[in-house]
Amino acid sequence: MSTPQAPVLAVEGLTKRYPGVTALDGMSFEVRPHEVVGLVGENGAGKSTLLKTLIGQVRPDEGKIRLQGEPVTLRGVAHAGSQGIGMVFQEQSLVPNITVAENILLGAEREGVRTGVYRWGAMKALAQQQLDKIGSSIDPGARTDTLTFAQRQMVEVAKVLTIEERTTVEPVILLDEPTSVLERREIATLFKQIERLRQRASVVFVSHRLEEVLEVSDRIYVLRNGQVVAEVDPHDTSPADLHRLLIGRESDGGHYHEDAQEPCDEAPLRLRVEDLMTAGCRSVTFDIRAGEVLGVAGVQGSGREEVCRALFGATRFSRGRVTLDDRRLRLRSPRAAVRAGVGYVPSQRRTDGIVPPMSVAANMSMAYVGEICRGPLLQGKRERGLVDRWIERLGIKTPSTTTAIGTLSGGNQQKVVLGRWMVGEDLRLLILDHPTRGLDVGAKSDVYALIRDLASAGCAVLLLSDTLEEMIALSHRVVVMKDGEVVKTVDTPRGAKPDPVVILEEMV
Amino acid sequence: MVVVPDLTRAPDRATGSLVRVRGQLARFMPLLLLTALLVLLSLRNPDLLTRNSLLTIADSAAPLIVLATGATIVILCGGIDLSIGALASFASVLTALWIPTMSAGVVVPVILISALAGLLQGWVHVAARVPSFVVTLGGLSLWSGLALTISGAGTVPVYDFAALRWAFTRTWGLPSATLVALVLVVVLGALMRFTPFGRWVSSVGHAEPAARLAGLPVGGIKMLAFAISGACAGLAGVLLVARTFSGAPTLGDSLLLPAVAAVIVGGTAITGGHGGLGRTLVGALIIVLLRVGLSQIGIDTSYEPIIYGVLIIIAVSVTIDRSKVAVIK
Repeated sequence: MSTPQAPVLAVEGLTKRYPGVTALDGMSFEVRPHEVVGLVGENGAGKSTLLKTLIGQVRPDEGKIRLQGEPVTLRGVAHAGSQGIGMVFQEQSLVPNITVAENILLGAEREGVRTGVYRWGAMKALAQQQLDKIGSSIDPGARTDTLTFAQRQMVEVAKVLTIEERTTVEPVILLDEPTSVLERREIATLFKQIERLRQRASVVFVSHRLEEVLEVSDRIYVLRNGQVVAEVDPHDTSPADLHRLLIGRESDGGHYHEDAQEPCDEAPLRLRVEDLMTAGCRSVTFDIRAGEVLGVAGVQGSGREEVCRALFGATRFSRGRVTLDDRRLRLRSPRAAVRAGVGYVPSQRRTDGIVPPMSVAANMSMAYVGEICRGPLLQGKRERGLVDRWIERLGIKTPSTTTAIGTLSGGNQQKVVLGRWMVGEDLRLLILDHPTRGLDVGAKSDVYALIRDLASAGCAVLLLSDTLEEMIALSHRVVVMKDGEVVKTVDTPRGAKPDPVVILEEMV
Repeated sequence: MVVVPDLTRAPDRATGSLVRVRGQLARFMPLLLLTALLVLLSLRNPDLLTRNSLLTIADSAAPLIVLATGATIVILCGGIDLSIGALASFASVLTALWIPTMSAGVVVPVILISALAGLLQGWVHVAARVPSFVVTLGGLSLWSGLALTISGAGTVPVYDFAALRWAFTRTWGLPSATLVALVLVVVLGALMRFTPFGRWVSSVGHAEPAARLAGLPVGGIKMLAFAISGACAGLAGVLLVARTFSGAPTLGDSLLLPAVAAVIVGGTAITGGHGGLGRTLVGALIIVLLRVGLSQIGIDTSYEPIIYGVLIIIAVSVTIDRSKVAVIK
């Protein structure tokens, strides 16, 4: 543990609102010299917005960022760099078809360029200086796309360290999910690098892999709903403790309306997926009964998202058989899926779920426009009637049916998207891809109630969820996917919900 | 500059209100501009507001209105059709060549063929996943080449005045070409307003992934938009023949830029989604008045393209939805 010193970086009450969502809600924390600070949080906790704010890509609505005690307004990546904040991007930011040396010095060539012309010798020497800082043996003359992912990451680290030449202060290096694509051995190398880095800089380590954060950090901040909810000493914290903090106890089973979970063992099979193969999953077999909620658990890269998209016709599958009510489905496009009675609530609500500038009514009647038409003509009255009915039934708070949906809160937006599918008389299967992402507690509870209603009405539900707790509470069964295959099925009946650890063990 | 992936470009608070101001500007600017132009021009030349000169202006505006109306639907989808001028030329040549055998009936096959040409471009755009500006830029050259080939690279005169008489007389005191254009705007406007097609087009333009995942027939919508644009180009070609009594392989080429300018000056965003046919009508009238005005203050017509170019850039800078463009290139 480092002794409390004046922080190099302090964030005070940072707030950032987007239409319908508050990404940062008065977030505060600090980073002290030569410290490795871990930031953990679920999707939607505000991690990525925070990082974008720290490199000047996003302007906060409120709050201050202090560097060495001085408040700064960051105007962009380059400006943040000149102030001493550099970031190693999760999705790498190197240009693939030029050399390592060019990438490292991109935009800061200094004596590597004379009269506008590259001096290759000087370039390589300068790049080598940066690579030496991290003790890397990568050839600065190599083309970047010939390197492995791990090597490219080292190049990124070396590149970020060029900010040392631009500032007099010791830099703060942000690492965004740096281990997500690395293998075990490469992760060990990265951690050694971080130890090395801390000699000359402070490090902020952002990850969703709790064990790794615990291993590498001096202190950990837990983020939830845009706020820091806990500061943790990794030396006396277990991954399970951290996980609990991460999820947060929102409420008891009532939150999930568990009483409304009706058994469905007798119900007929609704969906059968046999030996499905698509990019990202090798062979997936499972079924869902009418009225059943089936959770699909899995880490990133387990292939569960791919299965969902394939079942909705959003991506093609190369092999396998999908039958819905004993009829074989030909899923050529989402349209074909919708016509067969399948609905889909995407995880990226703002880009994939809604058409923000269009009205609540248009968004809700989008999938089953036939419900509001006579022949080819739209029936305005019928649409208003239908939409009003569902607005009331789903408890959607909107000034009117003609309000642009983008101006509503996230929870109300999501209810409209759910309503879009409930409007259909013949919805047989609803695929929910992280349906509560970014919603507040109240809205989540409402969405849970809707899922229960759907299931009770006999609709089969396929559920992907950010948290295991949510998934277990809502589902009748959970299948666990790992490396593109189903590895285990766990029953999660009402009143006998298993401990998340049972499933967690199978996931990793 | 390294382009960092995954930029959330939701507008900040300050830019949020700026966007709203821009939105209001985009909505009312065209009408203000049109009024200002009318007032200025009539101050300079009081004869402008006489019935006859207004009608002449309206008559000359018809092909432009028709072209711009079709182009609007493609632009609302988030695409662009650069082939409309060339396709109109091609259609004019077909019209001139076929009038001797088909007389007044020539309109139907010409518009059908143009619609098919548009549909083909739309199909290539959708099926081969080629950006629409590339497909239609290729189309521009293709239809031009075809028009040159079948016309023998020259003007094809029309002697059968009766065949297209309907397009250059007056009906109810209005030039019939203008009437045709207005009917087209009303019919397509009704299609957009009273059938799901209009909101489908806007949905695709605003948020194509969301439209696709809601089960809309995105490919079909786009193809239909291009077919309509093609049909409009065909109709514009026929109207051009009626004005000049000839078809020529470059007859409609110079209308591409004014047509696109009309759409954008009218307030339809080049990024898709926002806009409508009524706005394009206003935009087209602005362009036509501008043309009249320029000639009145004695500016040579060869300066016109300069004005269109500048106008397009300014209008786009006002109406573009930057949240949709990750990298502006």
